[in-house]
Order: sequence, then structure tokens, then C-alpha cells
Amino acid sequence: MDDTIDKTDPAVRAEIARRFAAAIPHNAAIGLVLEDAATDTVRMRLGYQAAFIGNVEAGLWHTGIAFTAADSACGLAVFLALPGLEAIATLDLRMDHLRPALAGADLVIEATCHHVTERMAFVNADLHQDDPARCVARATATFTRTGKSVLA
Amino acid sequence: MSTRANALTAALAGADYPALVQAVPYATYLGLAVELAEDGSRRYVMDFRDDLIGNASLPALHGGTVASLLSLAMQFEALIDMPAPRLPDPVDVTIDYWRSAGPVRCTATARLIRSGRHVAQAQAVCYQEHVDRPIAFGRSAFVLRNV
Repeated sequence: MDDTIDKTDPAVRAEIARRFAAAIPHNAAIGLVLEDAATDTVRMRLGYQAAFIGNVEAGLWHTGIAFTAADSACGLAVFLALPGLEAIATLDLRMDHLRPALAGADLVIEATCHHVTERMAFVNADLHQDDPARCVARATATFTRTGKSVLA
Repeated sequence: MSTRANALTAALAGADYPALVQAVPYATYLGLAVELAEDGSRRYVMDFRDDLIGNASLPALHGGTVASLLSLAMQFEALIDMPAPRLPDPVDVTIDYWRSAGPVRCTATARLIRSGRHVAQAQAVCYQEHVDRPIAFGRSAFVLRNV
């Protein structure tokens, strides 16, 4: 796989996404998996685990683990939106928590890179629990482009 | 008063930070520890672990783990600093990444900027080996509920 790959090809996108996600040890540690990278919106899923709870009594996910999942999904959306295999870094990420994420149910993250400039990439993500009409959180992030290939 | 609130109140009263961390499973998962500095302020520490790595080639910690440390530091600081124990729920969190986080322990300090009737606001900074080379900054707003 080189820098002249066709990122509009769904099969190529799926393979890049698979390798990108697999190269992040913490994704594997928490069980964050890729569900769909065929279109501009990348969908990932984080299965519920008791270790992710922030509020035991109310049975709610901690917001920190949602932040981690959003960062990973946003990074993947940016990586797929850029030409080649350019290394990127999160510059900043803001997350709004619209409603609590309930324990027992998975977290679905849908990230879209909506704008790319020479040095930056801009991305949004919606997080929900299998009901896209009821987002638990929204993220807005800016990534810097390093100009270097991840293969370098 | 609920069992969770009782656990938090008891932990707060005795400044029993391990019990405070234990009341939050995700803080336990990250291995969060609260240390008391000489000046009486608190430091929130997350030891390095291989499974926290986000970029294996650098290597660097996953930015989300640093964000979570900052967020938990702000949350605990808001809880600890309050006259009555109320659980602060994050409404929004923003993290600025200043430097990549190397494969060593992270330390965060947090400050409760304002605490009103319904809303609190906090800031936090994370550093690794050198306090004068911070790696990330966080700010957060919390909505306050009565326990």
C-alpha cells in the first residue's frame, strides 16, 4: 500500500481503516471496532463494559471513555479524508454532553471530516446508543497534518 | 442518601482518595491515583501502561486517556472543593493538545474556577516529567445536582 492509493474505493477504504484502527493499541484494549468506512462518515462501535462506568448508582458511562472513542473515530475520518497516508495529530477536541450514555448499551460514534486545508483538517462526530436521533454527545475536533507519511 | 452518595461523603470526610477513585470504575480502569502535594493541593496521576498507547510508532499515549485524566481531575477537584458533596456531571469538555504524551506517567493539576448554584467551571493541565513542559490543557463546565 503506497501514497497513490484510491481512497474512493470502498474496499481500499475498508482495508486502510482496518489497518489504521489496528495500529492503535488502546482501541484494541477498550474494544473499539470499525463498523463502516465506505462513505465520508466513519462509524465505530464501543461495546459496553462495566469498567467504563462513571456513575455506578445511576448506571451511566463516564464521559472520558466517550471522549477517547470520539478522538479515535475523528482521527480515522481525517486519515481517510486526506490524500495518501499522512500522519495526523489531534490539535483540540471539544465534546458536548447532551444526555447521559446509559450503561448496558453500546456507544456508536459517527465521525465526518468536513473540511481540509493545507495544514489542518476539521471533523465532527455524533455519539449515540443505536438511535441516531438521540445523540448522547457531539464532538468537534481539529487535527494537524504532519506532512509525513505514516509509512515513513 | 444513596449508597454512592454515602461512599462519596465518607471518602470526602476522611480525605480517603483511594475510596473516592474506587467509587468511579472508569477512574479505577485508568489507574488514577490522587496524591497530596506539600502545599495541600492535589495531583492526579495516571501511570504508564502499554494498553494506553494510541500511537505505537512514536510511542505516545492515546489522547483520549490524557483527556480522561484531565476530565477526572477537574471532576474530582470540583467535587472535593465543594462545601456540600455534589456530583459534577460534565456538560462540555475541551482539550487542547500541546505536546505528544510519551510512554511515562502523566500528572494533572486542576482548579475549580467558579462554582455557582447550578454550574461549575474548571481548568486542568497535564504534564509528564517536567512541570514546565505541559502536554495538554483542559477546560470543562459541570452541571451540579444535589446528592
